[in-house]
Amino acid sequence: MPSLLVAIFVVELVVQLVNSIGAATINSLIWRAVTSLPVPIAQEFADQRKKQKEYLAVRRELQATSSQDQFAKWAKLRRQHDKLLEGLEKKKTALDASRAKFDSYLTTARLISTRGVQWFLPFWYSKEPIFWLPYGWFPYYVEWFASFPRAPIGSVSIVVWQWACTGMITLIIETVVAAYGLAATVGEKAQKQAVPAGTAKVGDAGETTKSR
Amino acid sequence: MSEDNTYAVVRSEDGLEHSLQSILDQKSLRWIFVGGKGGVGKTTTSCSLAIQLAKVRRSVLLISTDPAHNLSDAFSQKFGKEARLVDGFDNLSAMEIDPNGSIQDLLAGQGEGADAADMGGIGNMMQDLAFAIPGIDEAMSFAEVLKQVKSLSYETIIFDTAPTGHTLRFLQFPSVLEKALAKVSQLSSQYGPLLSGFLGSNGSLPNGQNLNEMMEKLETLRATISEVNTQFKDERLTTFVCVCIPEFLSLYETERMIQELATYGIDTHSIVVNQLLFPKEGSDCEQCTARRRMQVKYLEQIDELYEDFNIVWMPLLTEEIRGKQRLEKFSEMLIKPYVPPK
Repeated sequence: MPSLLVAIFVVELVVQLVNSIGAATINSLIWRAVTSLPVPIAQEFADQRKKQKEYLAVRRELQATSSQDQFAKWAKLRRQHDKLLEGLEKKKTALDASRAKFDSYLTTARLISTRGVQWFLPFWYSKEPIFWLPYGWFPYYVEWFASFPRAPIGSVSIVVWQWACTGMITLIIETVVAAYGLAATVGEKAQKQAVPAGTAKVGDAGETTKSR
Repeated sequence: MSEDNTYAVVRSEDGLEHSLQSILDQKSLRWIFVGGKGGVGKTTTSCSLAIQLAKVRRSVLLISTDPAHNLSDAFSQKFGKEARLVDGFDNLSAMEIDPNGSIQDLLAGQGEGADAADMGGIGNMMQDLAFAIPGIDEAMSFAEVLKQVKSLSYETIIFDTAPTGHTLRFLQFPSVLEKALAKVSQLSSQYGPLLSGFLGSNGSLPNGQNLNEMMEKLETLRATISEVNTQFKDERLTTFVCVCIPEFLSLYETERMIQELATYGIDTHSIVVNQLLFPKEGSDCEQCTARRRMQVKYLEQIDELYEDFNIVWMPLLTEEIRGKQRLEKFSEMLIKPYVPPK
């Protein structure tokens, strides 16, 4: 059953990616993507930003106006300022609430589509063989282990396949991260080394000028 | 400088009259508040307004809620907690209420038949609680006023309020108390059985107070106050007259007050600008002319900012405004704009 095989692999891959990137980062990325689409919520956020700009402009002008010399102008600005601020704060709580709602939806969906599937598939297909081992290649205890817990003997069970996928993906991710880190540190070291070399040269030049 | 002196005569013609005639004409008005920063002439203005109103209304009551009572000074006559006719008038009464006194009265009235020594434990707690509610003192004096007003049926009631912050708290109080009482009522209906288990079947508190009775009292107080609150928010029944002097701090307070009144939904459309200087032409009084110039600056600002208000200018007189005759003379200027002598 190759589709199940692929599905398990993909689910594990996704779970591992989410773990290493971080759920909050992914949420905010998706949020940014959604708000950049022409949907009503994105419109509201654009409005909010526009209002914020307007408010800041009014505030700057208010600060630049002398309340004693131009009281009327100052008071009118103040009224405008207070009104804008009130509106902004009211809107902000509403928008924050919608953001929190969006986040909770996203989290639920993500949990169902990763953790849920991760538990459900092995439970549902626990008796199905993912693929068969070549007959007679492995000793009995290996075959027993490969079919753990309930798949027919001589096949690889879904749980074992899941373990294998997890192990492999973790290994690859760790390797990639380590390689990246190594490359970065090597690059940094190279830079660090380059700097003293430069200063040494300057020093040399200084010495030479001194000696002259 | 002659420009400055003629400023009073040349006013922008915006169709709004610069007098309180509109308040006299608005027969539906029942509550009039007079408020402003301390020392700007609230009492003088409210007395003058009361005198003018007494000419066109059946009966007028002037109430001072300012702890520093000035009504007695203004009319040179002693007023107390009961409404009393002002000498020389047959339809103008005045009273002074002490916001701090009435709460003591209320608490004393609560513990009927109980010794003062018994006011320990829960009694003390109730007292502390009652004092902790913001604006309770004003509200208590207010409740007292309402009792009087209901039985005496005055046509118009003028409040000479305490300086700004105080006034606004007083006006805000009904909504605060309404919220608090709604909570208390809810609690007592939920935990009533539990409480009566503690307190005995008749719900009496240790100092002779009765829980249910007290709840009922608070409930009636709430009902009265919320009724009055709706009246205050009705612009046909209530208006607020702001008194200020043409100086920065006073203007600032006035602006703040007008904005807050707007949030409470209380109508205000009149500003009395008091203590204006009108130095005679060619006057060599340095202070007067310098001060006059400053006042003109703020007057222009007021005209610009409050273009839809009735702005009344009142001069600073050379004499103290005390006694009936002087107040009457001064009150004329609320109706007929003052024309400075040339």
